[in-house]
Order: sequence, then C-alpha cells, then structure tokens
Amino acid sequence: MTMLVRARAAFAAARSGRVAKAAALGGALGLSASLCVGAQAPRGAAATPATPSDGKTIYDAHCANCHGAAGKGDGPASSLLTVRPRDFTLGRYKLRSTESGAVPTDDDLLRTIKSGMHGSAMPEWAPFLSDAQVQAVATYIKSFSRRFAADTPQAISLADPPAASPDSIARGKGVYERLKCASCHGDAGTGRGAVNTDLKDDWDRPIAATRLTEPWTFRGGATPRDILLRFRTGMSGSPMPSFKDAATDVEMGHLANYVVSLARKPVWEMNTADVKAFYEDLNRQERSDKVARGRYLIDTLGCKYCHSPIKADGSAIEEFMLAGGQRLSLYPFMEPVTYNLTSDRTTGLGAWTDEQIKNVLTRGVRPDGSRMLPFPMPWPAYGSLKPEDLDALIAALRSLPPVSNAIPAPKEPSLIPYLWGKFQFLILKRDIPSTDYPGNAGTPGGASSWQTRAK
Amino acid sequence: MMRILKWLGLAIVVIAFGGFLTFLYYIPPFFSVSPEDYVKQAAAPAVSLDGITDPAQRAIAERGKYLVTVSDCGGCHNTPGPEGPDPNMYLAGGGKIGFSGAGTAVSRNLTSDPETGLGNVKDDEIKRVLRSGVFHDGRMMHHRQMPWNASSNWTEEDRHAVVTYLRLVKPIRHKIPDPDRAATFDDKDAAGHFFGQDAGTVPAPIN
Repeated sequence: MTMLVRARAAFAAARSGRVAKAAALGGALGLSASLCVGAQAPRGAAATPATPSDGKTIYDAHCANCHGAAGKGDGPASSLLTVRPRDFTLGRYKLRSTESGAVPTDDDLLRTIKSGMHGSAMPEWAPFLSDAQVQAVATYIKSFSRRFAADTPQAISLADPPAASPDSIARGKGVYERLKCASCHGDAGTGRGAVNTDLKDDWDRPIAATRLTEPWTFRGGATPRDILLRFRTGMSGSPMPSFKDAATDVEMGHLANYVVSLARKPVWEMNTADVKAFYEDLNRQERSDKVARGRYLIDTLGCKYCHSPIKADGSAIEEFMLAGGQRLSLYPFMEPVTYNLTSDRTTGLGAWTDEQIKNVLTRGVRPDGSRMLPFPMPWPAYGSLKPEDLDALIAALRSLPPVSNAIPAPKEPSLIPYLWGKFQFLILKRDIPSTDYPGNAGTPGGASSWQTRAK
Repeated sequence: MMRILKWLGLAIVVIAFGGFLTFLYYIPPFFSVSPEDYVKQAAAPAVSLDGITDPAQRAIAERGKYLVTVSDCGGCHNTPGPEGPDPNMYLAGGGKIGFSGAGTAVSRNLTSDPETGLGNVKDDEIKRVLRSGVFHDGRMMHHRQMPWNASSNWTEEDRHAVVTYLRLVKPIRHKIPDPDRAATFDDKDAAGHFFGQDAGTVPAPIN
C-alpha cells in the first residue's frame, strides 16, 4: 500500500515537474528568459530615429531566430517550419514589384515586414516596430546579399486588373487552363488533381503550391492587384514563375479575377450548414490521403522537436531529421535517447510492425514489453488519437527515407546520485533542476553537453 | 546486557537505513498506473462540449478540443497538484520548467481569466503566438520552450479551432509568477548561446 501511495506521489511529482524532467522540452532552455524577461524597455525610447546599427540589433532579436544570424534562413526555429524562412543571401524574394529575377524595392521589403506573409510564420511587425525601425531592419537585410549593391530595383508599371465580371472570370478560367495552372494548383485551385505534387524551392526543400481557394494564405495579399503582381513578376525562389512572356497583362488581370472567384469562406466566416459540410469534406480528404495527413500530424505534433539531434543553437541537424539522437536528462531516473523514427531497418522503425508502433505511440509499451515513462514522450496524449489518424501517422513514418542512426540504450545513473536524487525528488519534494539537453548521442556533430558549460 | 542492546540498536539502525535505501532504490516511480489509465487521465479534464447548442460552434470546438488533447498542451499548461495534474485547474498554468544553471520558467495560464489568463488577449494575438512565437506585447518566445514552430504548422483554420476551444475552458484565476531569472543567465557562453539575444535589449516597441 505504502508502495502504491509513494508511487503515486512520485508520479504526481513527476507530472508536476513534468517538463523539468522531460528534458526534451527544455531543450534549449536558456530561454526562460526570452519568454519571461521580454521587451520591457520604456516605450518612449523609440522616438529617437533608428540608425543602421539598430537594424542589426532588431534583426538579431526579432528575425534571427528564424532567418539566422547570417541571414541564411537557417535560424534555430526554422527547421520545424513547413514554410521555410527566406534565405536572404541570394537576394531572391517572393514579393516584389520588380521584374522577375530582380531584387525587390525598399517599399516591397517594408510592406512585407510590416504586413507579414500570410500562411507562414512571418508575422506582421507593424504593431511592434516604428517605420524607422522597419527601414533600419530592411537596410540590414539588404546587406546580406551583394545583389542589392549591384542593382537599382525599378518597380514595374502595371495597370490595375479589369473590373471583375462574369465575362472577365470566364476569360480568366481560359487563361488558367492555357497556362496549366492546375498542374500545381489543382482543379479550380483546390489542390486536387495537381500533377506536380513534389515541388522543390531553389534551396531544394519541399514546398507546397498554395491552395487558391484559401485567399487568407496568399503570402502577398489577396486583392486582384496583389494576385496580378504575383503572375507578372513571379515569386523568386519558389517554383512559381513569372508569366510575363506567356500572357498579356490584361489576360493575367482576368486570371486574377478568376482566382479571386475561386475563394471559399474560411471556417470562421461559415454558417452552420457550411461548417458541417466543411468538416465532413476535410475528414474525407484526410482519410483519402493518409501520408499527407500523417505528415501534417508529424509536423504539428512536433515529433521533430525531440526526434532530431540538435546543434548548439537549438536547431535540428537537417540530415538527421526524425532520425533520433537527442539525449534527454530525466534526472534522477535516466538519460534516454530519442529513437530513430525513419524507416531504416536496423536502426529505425523499418522492421517494426504497425502493432508495435501503435503500442509505443498510444500505450508506451516497447516491443520488448518494457514500459516507457509517461513523459517526455507524450504517449498518454497520443492515446487519444483517432484510429484513422494513427494509421495515417504510421503511413507517414513508413514513408520517411531511411537514415541510419544507431540509438544507444538509456544511460543509467550511478547508484549514489540516483538515490540522492530520488530522496530529494520523492521525500524532500524538491524541484530538481535538470538539464534537458546533455548533447546528442549516436549522431556526428551537434552540441556537446550543455550542462558542463552552465556549471 | 548493555553491550548487546547497543549492538542490537546499531544493527537495527543499519538494517533500517539499508532497508530505506533499498526501498528508495526500488520504488517503482511510475508504473503502478496502467497505460489505459494514463490515457484517460490525460484526456479527462477536457471541457465537455455537450452544452453547445450551435452545431457549427460545436464542430469547430470539437476539432479544437481534439487538437489540444493530442498535442498535449496540458502536459505543460495543466497546474500541478499533489496527485498529478490538478483536474480542477485545467490549462491554468503553473507547470515549472527547470534548467540547471538557467533558472525556472513557468507555463502560462491559458484560461480566459481577464487578469491572470488570456481574457484580455485578443484571438488574433493568441493565434500570432501559436503561429509566430510573438506575444501581444512584442516579446519573443523561444521555440525550445514552447514549440510554437510546431503549432505554426497548423492550418489557420485549425489554429482558429484551437482558440475557439480555449475560449470555452473555464476561466480560472491563477496568477503565474514571473519566471525566476537565472543566476547564470548573463553568462552568454552558457545560456546565451541557445537564444542569442536578451529580448530586453530590443529597442522599445512603438505605439
């Protein structure tokens, strides 16, 4: 009985200190500060005009987390994002009012920084930065690429698209067919029926064609003019070309009207009947394309967060994405290493049966019958996954290209620290400080022990 | 006689101490609860949506509830109680994240209490945190602390469903203490290299 009570208390303590022990979460944790300390500087300070040096300061604080300190689009937070942050060093920008291949004007950059890019993690900065600060950041961003020094960007002159009318929309539909927009964007912009489904950007990373039925995800805005500008100038760095030579401005204007006409309402504007139909349709889609649904789950549940080895700055080592290898400290219990989730037969899940994967995911029971702690791997939450989502997740895991990365067994603590740790944890009820990230295991490169540095 | 007692006493102390250590060693810290019970425990405190009469609102909230549950938001944001997460403090925050040498951060109150939770934070501002890791006051969040770069991958409609659901969570007044700033936080070599820049040095936001 006592045992049971103690065990429960231990669990309680563990759950309460859950993240603490669950090293994973902590990962990089110096961070308490970023959340907590915050920008508390006096608000009046911004009245002074921003200088170029402010550009770097603001960039390092607000932009580098995704775009990287050197502007390569490889900041610590970037590797989990499905829409990757821009690499500024090549000077290729999606949202431009300049000819295809040219660099953007200052106005283009300012607009993007102020309004953000819809459908991506890039937020609108207008509420937080003054015009002078935005200008300073833009100037700093331009310094990452030599192309800005060489080119003087010229905004093209472009007439407004023709007024929307059934006739214009019908013409636009013809242009949509002639330019074969459906090969990437699908029939009527829904994504369905698209042939080019594994698109890559200029950095050879997967990129998805925008669904033209969802204007709230259009990176550069959804007015007919915004859309026309994208057709006319292309979106550099992405597979979206300029159609300047394939269609006239007027034709592209009709096309813009057609695209606007494809829009459906977002769920927050739908009426009751629409919402019902929307979710039925969504469920059908999710069930029909298992791998796509499973990848969405992998990306949104944050599997990559723990199951990829990370570098000292907290970013994932791309070549080993989902191949496991983060060592987590669950002081005083043990230091497990996240498993290789790729389909490698000897070191990953390749030789596991579906049943074995399900058992780990939803019950925390390993193939050898041993049980996992209820954290940091949140299998108690995954136990609520719908059966079809579980199948989708497994299908997506099976589709991961094999990466060989042998994962060592958990490191067991030595006796004395173990007993002392348990005593503090269970009896003194102390919050035991834990490092979350004592380094990678089994993977070359990456961070070394963080604890040794932090003393 | 006294000698025997003394030895006996000593033996008892040694045995008791040894027994205590053995006990400590063998306490099964977690496995007295079955996997199924863990799953139930994790899902139990979620809000019942049966009372929502508008079927549209309910469908959206159902979707949000599912996302919040399987994404394990409660894993960090449920308030710890003496016997595991306190079921009456669903998503009220207060879970601690300790880092040796880098202080302790505390998970925020996600209920709609106006003073201590998200009651005065607009829906769009919550969405921005989930999408971009930028708080309503311009502070930046580190992705290793709250993995916003995973919630960023939700479609905007899923993010809307999550916020819709969060608004249905019972408001709980639960003041979250400011995280304690680590003693070694200023040691840029130790803590700094993980998050680069102290957000406090950023020029002030305007307006």
